[in-house]
Amino acid sequence: MSAPALELRELRKSFGKTEIIRGVNLAIGRSERHAIIGPNGAGKSTLFNLITGRFPRSSGEILLHGQDIEGLAPYEINRRGLSRSFQITNIFPKMTVFENLRCALLWPQGHRYSFWSLVSKDRALNEGAERILEQINLTERRNLPAGVLSYAEQRALEIGITIAGGADVIMLDEPTAGMSHSETEYIVGLIRDVTKGKTLVMVEHDMSVVFGLADRISVLVYGEIIATGAPEEVRASPKVQEAYLGAAMAAEH
Amino acid sequence: MSAVDQNRAASRAAAGGLSLAALAPWIAAIVALALLPLVFSDNSAITIMNQMAITIVFALAYNMLLGQGGMLSFGHAVYMGLGGFFSVHLMNWMEDDLVALPLPLLPIFGGLFGLLFAMLIGSFSTRKAGTVFAMISLGVGELIAACSIIVVAFFGGEEGVSGDRTYGVPVFGIEFIRHVEVYYLTAFWLIVAAALMYLFSRTPVGRMANAVRDNPERAEFVGYSARWVRYVSFCASGFFAGIAGALFAVNYEILTEENLNLATSGTILLVTFLGGVGFFYGPVIGAVVFTLLATVLKLQTELWQLYVGALFVATVMFFPGGLAGLIAIHATPWRLGKLGGLAVPYLKTLLPGVIGLLALCAAAELAFHNREAPAGESTMGLFWMEVDTHSPLTWAVVAVVAVGGLWLANRGAPALKAAWDEATTPSDGGRS
Repeated sequence: MSAPALELRELRKSFGKTEIIRGVNLAIGRSERHAIIGPNGAGKSTLFNLITGRFPRSSGEILLHGQDIEGLAPYEINRRGLSRSFQITNIFPKMTVFENLRCALLWPQGHRYSFWSLVSKDRALNEGAERILEQINLTERRNLPAGVLSYAEQRALEIGITIAGGADVIMLDEPTAGMSHSETEYIVGLIRDVTKGKTLVMVEHDMSVVFGLADRISVLVYGEIIATGAPEEVRASPKVQEAYLGAAMAAEH
Repeated sequence: MSAVDQNRAASRAAAGGLSLAALAPWIAAIVALALLPLVFSDNSAITIMNQMAITIVFALAYNMLLGQGGMLSFGHAVYMGLGGFFSVHLMNWMEDDLVALPLPLLPIFGGLFGLLFAMLIGSFSTRKAGTVFAMISLGVGELIAACSIIVVAFFGGEEGVSGDRTYGVPVFGIEFIRHVEVYYLTAFWLIVAAALMYLFSRTPVGRMANAVRDNPERAEFVGYSARWVRYVSFCASGFFAGIAGALFAVNYEILTEENLNLATSGTILLVTFLGGVGFFYGPVIGAVVFTLLATVLKLQTELWQLYVGALFVATVMFFPGGLAGLIAIHATPWRLGKLGGLAVPYLKTLLPGVIGLLALCAAAELAFHNREAPAGESTMGLFWMEVDTHSPLTWAVVAVVAVGGLWLANRGAPALKAAWDEATTPSDGGRS
């Protein structure tokens, strides 16, 4: 139980000659809520894509529960208990909201590539999907194609799909992007609820969300982590003030 | 919270067993299939119905790829053809007493043979969807069709292979000599295959086929390899295409290169799309309509393929949901009880429209007759009339009817649009 949930060692990524991630070291403990902040273009989304197997890394190590996940496909990483959401909504648009959630439950509930059982017959599966549906407050939209939902509803569904399988490391890429104040508040409450006892890694621009939710914060600037620590430490760090936070906080207020 | 309770009840009902409403279309289909030969009892009608049934099975199998899995194949005739060829060989082995098998079990083996090749070819063709998959399917289709004149032992060269279905182990004394016996065998397999394909779409991998179609990347992030999901769908589709091939073998007792080639693959794409890829029953409608056109219309005019082509293009351009989609969009007015309000506007627009289009067809027929008929023959049967193809009067009438009909249809269109909008909006106070 000693290994961190997620650990990055000297992680690097180049696109052509441009190095986007320049030697990131980071250890995120179990049940920790960790936020990664930084200016636009700092490489936050790239970092997410490296961790979840969407892009291959250039060098370095990524350890999930102490095991290197080098070369694993996204679905294999997912099966090891890591689930993510996307900055740009990434759902199954032609399927109903309920079906979206049910699909996210199939593998975690052990259905694999079964063509000998019916999804409608599995009570745990359907009740699980209904429960998530209630949790993300989309019960009224249950039977609509996901593609016709409003933006905020699609964001909620995105999070629902991400958490449905009960992964123990949840990665959310800007979960509140483009949301109104009340929607943001709702989503933050939801995230807090559903990630209880789990490891949460999130990229977020809204500082009130970050400081309200995160146990620790890392600041990523130009592909390097310039500070990691509790919210108050990070807020007080002159380096962070200079590089990023001063401007961001000023913009917020 | 009442909506929540309702949904819970609904999913509990769904989990509890098959409801009568879900079974009703299947029971209706079984009854209809059982009674049809009593209504249409002559051999030519039974032949057409058998052809329909085979096309339905093939189209449903094809739609497992196109509609359910988002894979566009230009070479799916391969799996139906291979299943069919293997079935003919099996029939010949039954004739030579090498195997003893009741004929009704033949489709299982045809299906397994289709499955075998789907497993082989799918192992590399389903790596990617989209253009890559389409191109590989095209190439493999060409390849296997070319093999038919090379591997003569299996494909029989240019004349194909033929057999005799009557040497199977008799089932209750039935030897499948009469057309109607073959009909019931085909109808039985139609129901079995259709039901299995429907159930497949309700299994975990069937649901994930939809998910991979919608968004392969997201599917990978909920734990599924998009490639494996495509592969399983592809194999299942190959199996059912093989069953269709076996039914073809039983019905026609001969298979040739034509059963494998690109034209057949293209036809099934057309049939499926015409019926509607977004609905399970879409390919059924497509197969019925297409078979009618390819048999009944074909007897009437040599230009039938021109009309089918025009219908296909019109479907792609104006009704991408296909015929099933056209039916489905009427569900809203039906639920609102406003379907009746559409009757008059439909009549005012569609009737002149259809008459105008028929006049265009008449013009095509006249032109074709002028070109193809022996010199001096200047009369032809057009609809119920005998007309002079060289007379300016005939052409004038056709032109007037075509232009007038289409003009009237065009004039009625805004009213139809208004009626449609009205019929699809819930009226105030109608529902709380």
